[in-house]
Amino acid sequence: MAHSYEQLLSFDVAALGEKLQAKEISPVELTEAYLDRIQRTDDKIRAYITVTADLARKAARKAEHEIVAGKWRGPFHGVPIALKDLCYTRGIVTTGGSKILADFKPGHDCTVWARLSRAGAILLGKLNLHEFAYGITSSNPHWGFARNPYALDRIPGGSSGGSAAAIVARSAAATIGTDTGGSIRIPAALCGCVGLKPTWSRVSRHGVLPLAYTMDHVGPITRTVRDAALMLNVIAGHDRNDSTSSRERVADYTQQLDAGVGGLKLGIVRELMDGLSAEVQRSFEGAVAQLRALGATLDEVTIPSLPLSGIINGIVTWAEATEIHQEWMATHPQDYGDDVRRLLEVGMMIPAGAYVRAQRARARVLAQAMEALASHDVLIAPGTAIPAPKIGDSRRLDSDSGSVDVLTGILRFTQPFDVTGQPAIAIPTGLSSDGLPLAMQIAGRPFAEATVLQVASAYEKARGALPAPPPICSN
Amino acid sequence: MPLITPETVKRTLKDVYGYDISDESAGAVANTAGAMLSLAQHLGTLGLDGVEPPFGYATLMTEAIRTAAKK
Repeated sequence: MAHSYEQLLSFDVAALGEKLQAKEISPVELTEAYLDRIQRTDDKIRAYITVTADLARKAARKAEHEIVAGKWRGPFHGVPIALKDLCYTRGIVTTGGSKILADFKPGHDCTVWARLSRAGAILLGKLNLHEFAYGITSSNPHWGFARNPYALDRIPGGSSGGSAAAIVARSAAATIGTDTGGSIRIPAALCGCVGLKPTWSRVSRHGVLPLAYTMDHVGPITRTVRDAALMLNVIAGHDRNDSTSSRERVADYTQQLDAGVGGLKLGIVRELMDGLSAEVQRSFEGAVAQLRALGATLDEVTIPSLPLSGIINGIVTWAEATEIHQEWMATHPQDYGDDVRRLLEVGMMIPAGAYVRAQRARARVLAQAMEALASHDVLIAPGTAIPAPKIGDSRRLDSDSGSVDVLTGILRFTQPFDVTGQPAIAIPTGLSSDGLPLAMQIAGRPFAEATVLQVASAYEKARGALPAPPPICSN
Repeated sequence: MPLITPETVKRTLKDVYGYDISDESAGAVANTAGAMLSLAQHLGTLGLDGVEPPFGYATLMTEAIRTAAKK
């Protein structure tokens, strides 16, 4: 049965996997649909830095040949995806969203892409981001400002802004992002899609341009919770090229998706419940009510050291990013955007003692989070305090709860789970009165991604489909 | 007394990276870094006695073996 491009773009990865395996759709026509969509939308969204159209078509033909021959590799075989442009791809420009690496072609693939490629995924291209992943707006001075598909005058969040924008604009079926202070969950929350930050070390960082070694996480950004689970199934696991990657057993992350939340105990993090805009508060309370109606028990938990997470995350990231960038700062300081250069200059002023103390403090925050999780299956909190700000509103916004510092209103909610390294997912809870996505986070015990996904999946089913963004292109 | 002065910022960036920044920019960097360091003093309230930094010998060993094998 022939499908229109519009129909092809409407399928999530789970549906595509079934239809591709059954030969109901062809990887070649699917890839053409996505390339056409990129061409029709990306001048407005700026989700992509590089589109690998020829390589995608070649890979699609190969996938079609294999599937027709009965050599199906799994749910990603023939599925068009895209990578944040700090994921190394052999022979394909990998800019890190920077001018400094504008012509850089890595000699090898990052492990995440190597695994997705082996699983048969088709690479559509490399996605826009905040320069070197060091910021949350994705207003990139070198490659264009990425925009929020729900409102083109607003940021998509960052740093994986292109990765989330492409999902919502339907210009990729699934994408990869990275998260050091919230860079997977923030764009997912602000754009209205699903972003999963796995446990630190669950997914190899090999070949992913670092921002801060001990805080960087790699993970999926997708339309649905099931797609995130499917993608994690492919990318999780030990990698001998990343000595910090975990040897912890890799689960089938789809297995608990239909288990519901009956009997589960969810803890609402008290320290993340203040300073919310009224609409975020209402939407979060609605999600809590839905989870309760589904059979979960919810009560408040406290993690007293959590408010120090911003300081810990800031100091560690400043210090490690400064070490990573020191040679370029000496040779190309003028090639950085003003905001990123400023952060790297601040990093020069962080004493070594402060860095080590911040690292030691992480254990205390994790200990208190684990204490809360001893009596609860997961923790929940809003995704951000505010919906997506307008591009350029980078300092303070007036909201119904007063004046909100944009950085605080966003990063404060995500940084704690980078500090602790726990798995955490952002999932939409609805739209604000002016049509902007709102979200909550669900965080679990280290390596308990399956439980986090289970709760997210139950909520997602109860919530129903999120209203689509306004049309981005005219046809 | 400020923890970090604009003069320190200007001198450090000049010495380490070899470029000059304006007084205004140096002031902004000093303010941000100083504020963060001031807040960082609160980390001492967490009771860190006996808490090791999360840098393990296992990673050091593995990296040594891995990088030796690459040569």
